[in-house]
Amino acid sequence: MYSLSKSARVSRSRLRIAVPVVLLFTAACASTPPIPSASLQAAQQSIANAERVEAGTHAPAQLGEARNKLSAAQRAVDEEKMIVAGWLADEARADAELAVATTSAAKANAVNADMKRSTATLVEEMQRKTGDSR
Amino acid sequence: MNTHYSMIAAAVAAALALGCASTPKQPAGSEQVRAKLTALQNDPALATQAPVATKDAELAVKQAEIAQPDVALAAHRVYIADRKVDTAKAQAETKMAEMQRTALNKQSEKARLDARTREADLAKSDALVARAEAAEQKVAVTQARSDADAALLAANASRQEAEDLQRQLEVLQAKPTDRGLVLTLGDTLFATGKSELKSGATVNLDRLGDFLSEYPDRTAAIEGFTDSIGSEESNQSLSERRADSVKRYLVARGVKSDRLRSTGRGENAPVADNESPSGRQQNRRVEVIISQANGAGGGK
Repeated sequence: MYSLSKSARVSRSRLRIAVPVVLLFTAACASTPPIPSASLQAAQQSIANAERVEAGTHAPAQLGEARNKLSAAQRAVDEEKMIVAGWLADEARADAELAVATTSAAKANAVNADMKRSTATLVEEMQRKTGDSR
Repeated sequence: MNTHYSMIAAAVAAALALGCASTPKQPAGSEQVRAKLTALQNDPALATQAPVATKDAELAVKQAEIAQPDVALAAHRVYIADRKVDTAKAQAETKMAEMQRTALNKQSEKARLDARTREADLAKSDALVARAEAAEQKVAVTQARSDADAALLAANASRQEAEDLQRQLEVLQAKPTDRGLVLTLGDTLFATGKSELKSGATVNLDRLGDFLSEYPDRTAAIEGFTDSIGSEESNQSLSERRADSVKRYLVARGVKSDRLRSTGRGENAPVADNESPSGRQQNRRVEVIISQANGAGGGK
């Protein structure tokens, strides 16, 4: 031990401090959350589903919102803001599902309105015919 | 002593810190979402229509209401809860529309049935009207036919009558002239210079009487004529008396006397010359002028 110079002794002690610090940083970088793949996939499927039921015609606002949120989620992934990306993907999915539900309601109401109209026409024609026969 | 004092101070500080901290606040927007959910759950028409989606929304709203220091996370949870409540409401509305459709279907069916029944009724009543009209027409046709038959019978009858008349007139040898039908009775009816009808010479007069009886609307003018032998006065008188004899004979046969007029024309209006015996014989005559069917002619 008395054989090492003073400078050698100082370098070794610095090294003992430096190595743990480097290890600490590596650990900190490794704790970035993973890409929210499940949420992103679910969002994509919901949007595809909405397009299939023609949500673009009956609920264009909600479908547009879903698409915007999904794009924002993907941008957040690029920026490694994984938690926000996960939220945005979940919101995109909620928007898409609302678009689907809104579309179903719109179509159902349209069918009913159609039926009411044709019944009314039938009744009107009937009354007209009776009127003529007198 | 110093350590105790710092421990107590630390405890008090901690207590104060805890006490000053306000009760955890509900995240912004979570009250509104809760209100939306409550409204849906209280809507009698929609409340039970989408149970799964409504439950899902309830869970999301509960989570959104939890006090959350991370403002971004709190906002995210409120957003999700809001969309889920809207989704539950839309699903409930779809369900309700589908249930209404059953009733609408029934109404539509009833309207269609009514329309068909109405058309059938109209068709039936049209058919009844048509049948009634056809029956009327049939009656009219039958009537027309019997009218036609009657007309035909009548026509036949008048034709028959006309033929009978024609035959009688031919037998009578009455000649149609513009004065009417003229029947000329020759002087064989009377003895020379006399005005009494000779018996057995009255065949034509009988026929004339029958004719006048059969055609009661006819009248007759009886005119007596002589030849030019003798005086005008005696000829005039003879012709009058002869015409009158004929009239009396016809009246005796049943002809009403007001249908007959007798006149003497004496030597006038000879039909042949008086120079020859045959001419003079022709002039010695009685003419009976029978009126036309409408009363025209038959004397003036």
